[in-house]
Amino acid sequence: MSKFGTSQPVTRLEDTRFLTGKGRYVDDIAPAHALHAFVFRSTAAHGVITALDVSEAREAPGVHLILTAADLAEAGLKNAMKYSPVKNGDGSRPPLPARPILAEGRVRFVGEPVAFVVAETLAEAKDAAELIVLELDDRPAKLDIAPGGEVLHEVAPDNVAYDFAMGDAAATEAALAGAAHVVTHTSHDNRVIVNSMEPRGCYAEPEGERIHLAVNGQGVWGTKGELAKWLGWPEDRVRVTNPDVGGGFGMKGMNYPENLLVAQAARMLGHPVRWMGERTESMLSDNGGRDLIVTTTLGFDAELRLVAFRTDSLSNMGAYPSNFGMNIQSSLYSKVLTGTYDVQTYHFRNRGIYTSTTQIDAYRGAGRPEAIYALERAMDFAARELGVDPLELRRRNFIARAQFPYRSATGELYDVGDFHRVLARAEACADLAGFAERRAASEAEGKLRGLGLCYYIESILGDPSETATIEITQTGAKVYVGTQSNGQGHETVYAQLLHDQTGLPLDSIEIVQGDSDLIAHGGGTGGSRSVTVQGMAMRATAETLITGLTAFLAEDMDRADIAFDAEEGVFRAPGSNVVVTLIEAAGRARAAGRGDLVQVTETQTLPGRSYPNGCHITELEIDRDTGVVRIDRYTVVDDFGNLMNPRLAEGQVHGGVVQGIGQALTEHVVFDAEGQLLTATFMDYGMPRADDTPFIAFYTEAVPSTANPLGMKGCGEAGTVGALAAVANAVQDALWPLGLRQVDMPFTPARVWEMLQHAERIAAE
Amino acid sequence: MYSFEFAKPKTIDEAVAALAGEEAQALGGGQTLLPTMKQRLAAPATLVSLNSIPEMIGVCVNDAGHVCIGGATPHAVVAREAAAHYPALAALAGHIGDPAVRNRGTIGGSLANNDPSACYPAAALGSGAVIKTNTRDIAADDYFLGMFETALNEGEIITEVRFPVPQKVNYQKFVQPASRFALVGVFVAKYADGVRVAVTGASSDGVFRWAEAEAALNADFSKAAIDALSPPEGTMISDLHGTDAYRAHLVKVMTGRAVAAA
Ligand SMILES: Cc1cc2nc3c(=O)[nH]c(=O)nc-3n(C[C@H](O)[C@H](O)[C@H](O)COP(=O)(O)OP(=O)(O)OC[C@H]3O[C@@H](n4cnc5c(N)ncnc54)[C@H](O)[C@@H]3O)c2cc1C
Repeated sequence: MSKFGTSQPVTRLEDTRFLTGKGRYVDDIAPAHALHAFVFRSTAAHGVITALDVSEAREAPGVHLILTAADLAEAGLKNAMKYSPVKNGDGSRPPLPARPILAEGRVRFVGEPVAFVVAETLAEAKDAAELIVLELDDRPAKLDIAPGGEVLHEVAPDNVAYDFAMGDAAATEAALAGAAHVVTHTSHDNRVIVNSMEPRGCYAEPEGERIHLAVNGQGVWGTKGELAKWLGWPEDRVRVTNPDVGGGFGMKGMNYPENLLVAQAARMLGHPVRWMGERTESMLSDNGGRDLIVTTTLGFDAELRLVAFRTDSLSNMGAYPSNFGMNIQSSLYSKVLTGTYDVQTYHFRNRGIYTSTTQIDAYRGAGRPEAIYALERAMDFAARELGVDPLELRRRNFIARAQFPYRSATGELYDVGDFHRVLARAEACADLAGFAERRAASEAEGKLRGLGLCYYIESILGDPSETATIEITQTGAKVYVGTQSNGQGHETVYAQLLHDQTGLPLDSIEIVQGDSDLIAHGGGTGGSRSVTVQGMAMRATAETLITGLTAFLAEDMDRADIAFDAEEGVFRAPGSNVVVTLIEAAGRARAAGRGDLVQVTETQTLPGRSYPNGCHITELEIDRDTGVVRIDRYTVVDDFGNLMNPRLAEGQVHGGVVQGIGQALTEHVVFDAEGQLLTATFMDYGMPRADDTPFIAFYTEAVPSTANPLGMKGCGEAGTVGALAAVANAVQDALWPLGLRQVDMPFTPARVWEMLQHAERIAAE
Repeated sequence: MYSFEFAKPKTIDEAVAALAGEEAQALGGGQTLLPTMKQRLAAPATLVSLNSIPEMIGVCVNDAGHVCIGGATPHAVVAREAAAHYPALAALAGHIGDPAVRNRGTIGGSLANNDPSACYPAAALGSGAVIKTNTRDIAADDYFLGMFETALNEGEIITEVRFPVPQKVNYQKFVQPASRFALVGVFVAKYADGVRVAVTGASSDGVFRWAEAEAALNADFSKAAIDALSPPEGTMISDLHGTDAYRAHLVKVMTGRAVAAA
């Protein structure tokens, strides 16, 4: 195996570009003469619009265009963003309120777009926006995640967006009634602001009869379809591109009002228009993540085996249904509802609740970290309540190796897995045997020490099909892919894959992504799908390419025995000196009019999903005097199947774990009673930093997937899925001896100190 | 940001003259002022940069043994150049913000701004420093007048700050997790004529001296001396990063730690 091929820890090819300022992010490449757009947003969380007057702003210096809801109507454009509904548990359709592009009649969250100002310069656009008069009849904000309260949408009078259900309520009730032990646990999975390093931004430019929209998204085709439909144009008049993207995490996977408005403005003005979000603007208007309250009820038999499982949750939708807002905490959550445990009797209910806050949608893991968080908190809690070792309770309930392929209660077909093996390795790697001693040492210093475990499983999501086109050029190869790197390092991994099959040097391989004109269809990035599905498509394409060129050479050179040597990257005929490089072979085919052999396209569909799983173990210390939580040790053992690039996989785990630690320890979204976001800058919103983060010990224990030819399992979201409960359970472990039974993220010093005060009150009683 | 004029005087006199102009404002490192201008919350007509005035930059020790820091000296320079003369002050400067903030932000800007969570006010008050301006010398005890309020007059600039060096000293900064300003910072300094305890971050009146603790520490400079005290709770800041009770508690914890470490 070459040292540049798959399974090798090749360093990232794209990093030189990114780290030397040569990245091409959307705000770097917008046409220099583009007009600047500024979004005038609501500063109130809820109010009826009694007046919106932009007449003075229209006359302001440098202004070219102002769009309001009324202007969209005048242009014959529908004032509604697309979203994907779910069905209620009883099969009925939930109310489907419109999500306006520009506020119409009412504003429902701080940051909601009200008017779109286009001017020569950004300063002029902002100056003009100051002249806009928006009068509101203020209404109370609706902030709690519970049915009822101030009505936001007339069609949903109790603020319930939908009432999703799966499973058998009666059977679950009966099984719980007959269970030897029943444990109920409620957890709050706190809201986060995604905060991609690069805020959202886009520009649009007319190209003859067409419009080109460049946006820092997670795939171009969904945006293209929605934009073309909205503009009332055939799809071939719309081109969407994604340049380099500085982080998406699901948040950038959705279309946003600004993308449509920039395109419409460019169309109306016949001139390029650009928009770039500022940090506070992003914090107010990017789809948020998480924010749900989950009550999990576990029924065990006398041997502590699960016999019934019930989940009832309320999730925050924000003010409007966003693209997948209704799907995340319902259907996507259900994919791993019962995790790695063997239980078939279940019921799952989830209600989405409208609140006067920014929409909530997918965030790294999209429903699966949320499901695993609630489940692993509840399992851990059950172990403590039932007086059994948390590892032991999990071992008793794991799906056994012999049970695979295993159809989970919610219908997922887990292909392979060996949870016992992974847990045993984690137990050893994390040195659980030495924990008691470490705890004693902490206590001697007046600190509390806690140990937390999370065993997670993830189901890979996203489009199961992908296409690859490989073109052999004069110097190497171009590969056209349907996925979209947001910084993960796809260019490196795809080059490694093609290197394996063709012997072409890594630096001769160019990966082309994110251009709807060059690539007809693709699934973008999301759901940890990219390398598995794109890798499979590339493999098939490379095989077709090599097969075609081998046959061509055999005929052209009249050597039936010619064969390709992938290691060397040359065609050879046994027993002769004939050596033809891949590039030479392509040249011959081209000269012979066989361009079809040089540029080849294949589409592949995954036979099944893969299910990465693993164990995270956190050990932390709590300073009793201040409430500060410091993570001391962090161990991950993952089963990602075969690794395409161990270094990049580990990097994904590091990033995911740190995002999880951020949510657990520092990221705290706070609204005041009026619905104003108090944490709208980094002065108040705490992103995790390097010194909040321990060294993360990472090991793998591979059970290759049988659901794809590469034997791999997606690894992009796994770190986040495992981290939340591992950290929270460790805090719970540290505080359990003090009598504390309810601990919720985020564990900021102030909140933990309040918990410690509460413990003192308990002790005093 | 609105547009503005920019002046770059070379001497204090030129700067004072430029600041006499209509809606002129001094610019130190811009670490507070520029974000405010970007948010359109401040709109000076002229910015008068103090960063090119050699007599306002640098660290030295005067005949009285006081450490003298030019009003436009960046935190990073203080961290480096004061280390040999007043290590606790250098350490405090070295933990303000991040490297970019330390390379731009200045001691004069920090003291003029008097952010209730800033570190330098604690050092100045805790050291009994003298704040020198273009017109007068102001004792730290007379300088801090409450949150974002100081004794400075319109157009007056801090040209230098003089710190007497204590016998024992320590600054304990408990960081606010997001901004990493001081949620509570306590500066304890023991001089021949008494102990000073200056607290930042905690009070809605800005930096203050905790007189009770000073008295107790004058009698017995040990952590145990403050065990029985409780900081004044009613005046503490209460916000999403901590209640007033939490801040009051932290004042005591951090004072104890500062005494132990001094
Ligand atoms: C991310 C971040 C983190 C920070 N963390 C900390 C921290 O942990 N601890 C801390 O103490 N501070 C912190 N700061 C504040 C920073 O250290 C600066 O001290 C502070 O912002 C002001 O100093 P400046 O020189 O930048 O002043 P400027 O922003 O330029 O000016 C601030 C005000 O002072 C006036 N001014 C400036 N210089 C003078 C002068 N010589 N005489 C009179 N008036 C003057 C200006 O007119 C303006 O009103 C942080 C800032 C940032 C951005």
